[in-house]
Amino acid sequence: MAPIMRISVTRTGGFAGIERQAEVDTTARPDADEWHALAKAVLAEGTRMPPSVVPDGFSYTIAVDGHTVHCADPALTDAQRELITRVLNEGA
Amino acid sequence: MNQSPFGTSSVDSRVPTLCTIVPPHVLDRLASAEDADIAQAARRTLARDAALRAARRAGVTPALPPAPRSAGTAAAEPRRTVYDAEHRTALPGTRVRGEGEPPLRDATVNRAYAGLGATHDLLCAVYGRDSIDGAGLPLNATVHYDRDYDNAFWNGGQMVFGDGDGRIFLDFTLALDVIAHELAHGLTQYTADLAYQGQSGALNESVSDVFGSLVKQRALGQSAEQADWLVGAGILAPDVSGEGLRSLKAPGTAYDDPALGKDPQPARMADYVRTSSDNGGVHINSGIPNHAFYLFATALGGPAWERAGQVWYDTLTGGELAVDAEFADFSRLTVKTARARFGPGGAEDEALVKAWSTVGLPAEEDD
Repeated sequence: MAPIMRISVTRTGGFAGIERQAEVDTTARPDADEWHALAKAVLAEGTRMPPSVVPDGFSYTIAVDGHTVHCADPALTDAQRELITRVLNEGA
Repeated sequence: MNQSPFGTSSVDSRVPTLCTIVPPHVLDRLASAEDADIAQAARRTLARDAALRAARRAGVTPALPPAPRSAGTAAAEPRRTVYDAEHRTALPGTRVRGEGEPPLRDATVNRAYAGLGATHDLLCAVYGRDSIDGAGLPLNATVHYDRDYDNAFWNGGQMVFGDGDGRIFLDFTLALDVIAHELAHGLTQYTADLAYQGQSGALNESVSDVFGSLVKQRALGQSAEQADWLVGAGILAPDVSGEGLRSLKAPGTAYDDPALGKDPQPARMADYVRTSSDNGGVHINSGIPNHAFYLFATALGGPAWERAGQVWYDTLTGGELAVDAEFADFSRLTVKTARARFGPGGAEDEALVKAWSTVGLPAEEDD
């Protein structure tokens, strides 16, 4: 796989039904390796098709350099949760 | 934050908290049973239920003594347990308060506990249903889920509440209607089980907003005219520009804020939003049936949980609402249901037909 540069997270649904989207470009980041390891784990764990969601649950679309996977609350893996939290908090 | 909706229990304390566990048609059969004791007990229950319903229809609070425990009735107390996720995500977390146990110092736990009770009480005292499954299902909630978690959800077996991030959202247990909304997802799951996608998903959401609002209004002792008809009032952080997350009275006006955006809800079919996001806009297009309920309830006036709520409850639980029902299926079925319960051509029938017409949905089979 080529070096990961862009990681985006789109969160939809939830009680409020308000969509949030954020993206991180890892190119110039000192912790790029950490991001890449996390992103690889998430790509390996995610599903290509959106999973069924629970009422009012968030669902997530994670895109890593064009590869897209889906996941939904509350059945997130630790890596998915960490990546989602970091991208939504630190991304633009 | 609103005044506490849990303190005013004037409604609750006067209505015996007894639910019919055995359905009326079974009681009918029992009432003609050979065994004289069983038959008598069943007849007593039927008469008592009928009196309660008649009294409710007439808008008076029945002063009936609690019925003796007998075939068909039982004290339908809730069976609540609140858990604390301690800011992690394992469910259900640590058990912190069970049924009948005294309040804790943690107000979030106590609000969740009280909210479960208020919802159980609406189902039981008003609609004669023992818990969300009609069979005394224990009610479980987990609070303090994850960190800064901006959501509350129903996972199919329990409610889960986040504390909010403090910047946009506050603790999701601050709004009684949010707690009741989540529990109403359980009611839907055990009854019509509306598929959580597209129009049936928006109906699922709308039913939760409606019963969430009814629990709040009943706890506050508010009539349809007095109610704010907001969902999620009190969970938006102080700097957010908005009254709540949704408005049944005026969908699309609940908030308008730089961080949150603008409330996207339509009030009429002409403005139905087609989107693949949010399971096909389940939290968006729910504004349409939400507004129809508001129009219906306010046209009737008085306590919305009585006549208007009864029609919605009957429609949801009556067995005729399909899993994949669309708005028009629901609107027609509510009218049929209202006519079955209150008679055709009455105030309920007229108000409901007009409400659906206003939002652009049919009332009759051939519309």
